Amino acid sequence: MSNAWALVARREILVKLTNKAFIIGTVITVVLIGGFLGWTAYTEERTSTYDLVTLSEESEMGQAVAAAAPVLDDSVIVEARTVPDDDTARAAVADGEADGYLHRSGAGWVLTTETDEGELLRVVQQAVRAAVIDQQARDLGTTAAELEAGSVVSPEFLVGDAEQAGLAQGVGFVMALLFFMAALMYGMQIANSVVEEKQSRIVEIIATSIPVRHLLAGKVIGNTVMAILQIVLYVGVGLIGLSFTPYSSFLPALGAPVAWFLVFFAAGFIALACLWAVAGSLASRVEDLQSTSAPLTYLVMGVYFAGFLLSGTAKVIASFIPPLSAVMMPIRILEGDVPLWQPILALVLMLLFAAVTIVIGERLYRRSLLQSGGRVSLKQAWSTTE
Amino acid sequence: MLEVRELTRTFGDLRAVDGVTFDVRPGMMTGFVGGNGAGKTTTMRMIMGVLGITSGEVRWDGRPITMVDRRRFGYMPEERGLYPKQPVLDQLIYLGQLGGMTAASARAAAMEHLERFGLADRAKEHVEKLSLGNQQRVQITAAVMRQPICLILDEPFSGLDPLAVDSMADLLRQHTSRGVPVLFSSHQLDLVDRLCDRLVILNKGRVVGAGTREELESTGTVRHRLTVNGDAGWVRDLPGIHVVDVEGPTALLEIIQPGAEQQLLRTAVSRGELREFTPIRPTLSEIYREVTQ
Repeated sequence: MSNAWALVARREILVKLTNKAFIIGTVITVVLIGGFLGWTAYTEERTSTYDLVTLSEESEMGQAVAAAAPVLDDSVIVEARTVPDDDTARAAVADGEADGYLHRSGAGWVLTTETDEGELLRVVQQAVRAAVIDQQARDLGTTAAELEAGSVVSPEFLVGDAEQAGLAQGVGFVMALLFFMAALMYGMQIANSVVEEKQSRIVEIIATSIPVRHLLAGKVIGNTVMAILQIVLYVGVGLIGLSFTPYSSFLPALGAPVAWFLVFFAAGFIALACLWAVAGSLASRVEDLQSTSAPLTYLVMGVYFAGFLLSGTAKVIASFIPPLSAVMMPIRILEGDVPLWQPILALVLMLLFAAVTIVIGERLYRRSLLQSGGRVSLKQAWSTTE
Repeated sequence: MLEVRELTRTFGDLRAVDGVTFDVRPGMMTGFVGGNGAGKTTTMRMIMGVLGITSGEVRWDGRPITMVDRRRFGYMPEERGLYPKQPVLDQLIYLGQLGGMTAASARAAAMEHLERFGLADRAKEHVEKLSLGNQQRVQITAAVMRQPICLILDEPFSGLDPLAVDSMADLLRQHTSRGVPVLFSSHQLDLVDRLCDRLVILNKGRVVGAGTREELESTGTVRHRLTVNGDAGWVRDLPGIHVVDVEGPTALLEIIQPGAEQQLLRTAVSRGELREFTPIRPTLSEIYREVTQ
C-alpha cells in the first residue's frame, strides 16, 4: 500500500495525457510561442536592399548614402547607380527598376519614390544631413565632429542597464503570466477532479482502499509533475526560439533566473495545489466549486498582478512572501544585483509555506472529503470528527 | 464475522443511527431493510469507516475493526461511484490496484466479471455510455473482483431488471458459499425475502428486528386462524386469548397466555365444531409493518 500515491499520481498523469483538450491546448501554445519568436526572428533579421539612382553629377551623394546606410540601420542596404537624365530616373522609379531617385531641388534634396518608403527615407535623410553638415563644416574651416563636440547625451543607469531592465520587464511579465495560467488552470482541474470523485462517491471506494493522505499526495504530485513538464516545455521552446532572434545574446543572462523560476514555481505550485484540493473537497457538487475556490482565484490573481504592479521596497518585501515570491524573486534576480542569500531565504520560506499548507490541507481535505450534502465550511471541516 | 455493537451517529441534534447492534455472519446474506432515512446508508458508511462513529463499535473476527481489515472488504456506495468519463476496464484495473492487486490480476478479474455480465466487448467504452443497469454491474465488479473478505453493498439491486437481479444474486451467493459475510440494503422487501438468509430491520435509526425469518416470525406476535362449524363468537369469552377479528365461523386470534390455545382447542373439540386451527405465516411486509410501527 506504500505506493498507493504513485498509482493515484500515475492515473492523474494518464488522464491528462489522454485528454484531447489538454493535448490540443499544449500544442497550440507551443505553436504560438514558436510562431511568435519565429516571426520576430524573421522580421529582425531581414535586410532590405534599395536601389537608389542619382544623376551622374550628383553621384557623390548617392555613394555617400550607400556607404552610410549599413551603419545607420543594419537591416538596410543601399545600392547607388547613376542615370543620364531626370526623365530616365523618374521612369526607372515608376517602372520599379529603382526604389528611389535622389536629386537636388532648390536649396535642399528630394527623394522621389513611387509610394512611401519610410525605411529608405530615414536612411537617406540622415546620410544626406551628415554629408551636408560635413561639407559645410569643411567650408567653415572646421569639422563636423568639432561642431558636435560636447553635444552628446549618454544614458547611465544606477541599477543594471537599459537592455537588461527592458528584458527583465518582458521576461518577468511572461513568468508571471505562466504562473498565473498554470496555477489557475491546474488548480481548477485539481479542484474539479476532487469534487467529481466526491460527487460520484468513488471517493468512498478509494478511501476504503487507501489512506486519504495518499489520494491527496497522488493528486498533488501527479498534477505538479504535469504542470512543471508543461512549463519546462514552454520555457524550452521559448528559449530555443529566442536563440534564433537577435536577442540570443541575452540567453546567458536568462539561464539563472529561469532556473530559479522553475524551482520557485514547483514549490509554489505544490503549496497551492493542496489548497485547490481542499477547495474541491469543501464542495459537494461541481456547482459549489465557484464559491469554495473563489479565495484561491483571488490569491493567484494577486500574485499575477503583483508581478508587474509592485516596485521599490514593496517589491523587495513581496519577493520574500510566499506565494508572491514565486514570481517576484525570479523577477528581481532577472533585474540583477540580488545577493544569493535572498533567493535561498525566499525559497526556504516558500517551502515552509508549502509544508504548512500540506499539513493544514491534508487535515481539511481528509475531514471534508467524505462529508456529503452541501458545502462544508472551513470551520466545520477543521473541527469535525473523523 | 462482522459485529456491529451499539453503533450511534448524530448529525447535530439528529440521532441518525441510535445504538444499532447486529451481526453479519459468515456465508450468509444479510438483508438490511428499512424505510428512507432509517439509517441504513449511515450505518454502512460507518462500517466502512468513511463516516465517523459517534459511539459504539464495529468488530471483525472478534476484535475492533481496523482500516487494514476494511481494505479487504468489498464496498458499493449508495450512489454509483465510478469515473464517468473513463473507460470501464481502465478504472476497474485502477481500483483493483488500489486494493492491492497487480495490474495483470486486476485485468484478469475485471475481464472475467465483464464477460460474465456480457460486457466484455464494452470494456473500452466510457462508463457514462453504459445504461444504468450496466453501470451497476461494473460497480459490483469493482466491489467483488478482488475476492473480498466481506461485502457491504448499499442498494445493489435497485434499478435492475429481474434477470439482472438473478445474475447479481448468483454472483453474491458465490461469495457467501466461500464463507464471506454479505450485508446488502434494499427496500424491495419481496427481493430481500427471497434472497437473504438473515434480516436486520431498521426503523428511525434503531434495530427493530434481527435474525432469520423464522426468528423474526416468532418474535413478532404470531396469529392463529380458527375455523369452526357455526359462529365462532364464543371464543371471545375464553381467557388468555386476544381476538383480533371474528367473521362467521372464522376467528383471527393472538395467544396472549402460553397454553391458552390448549383450552381453546379442548373447548372447540368438546363443542364438536373444530375444522381448522393454524398459525398464520406472516409475509415479510407484515412483519416489517408490525415491527416498524
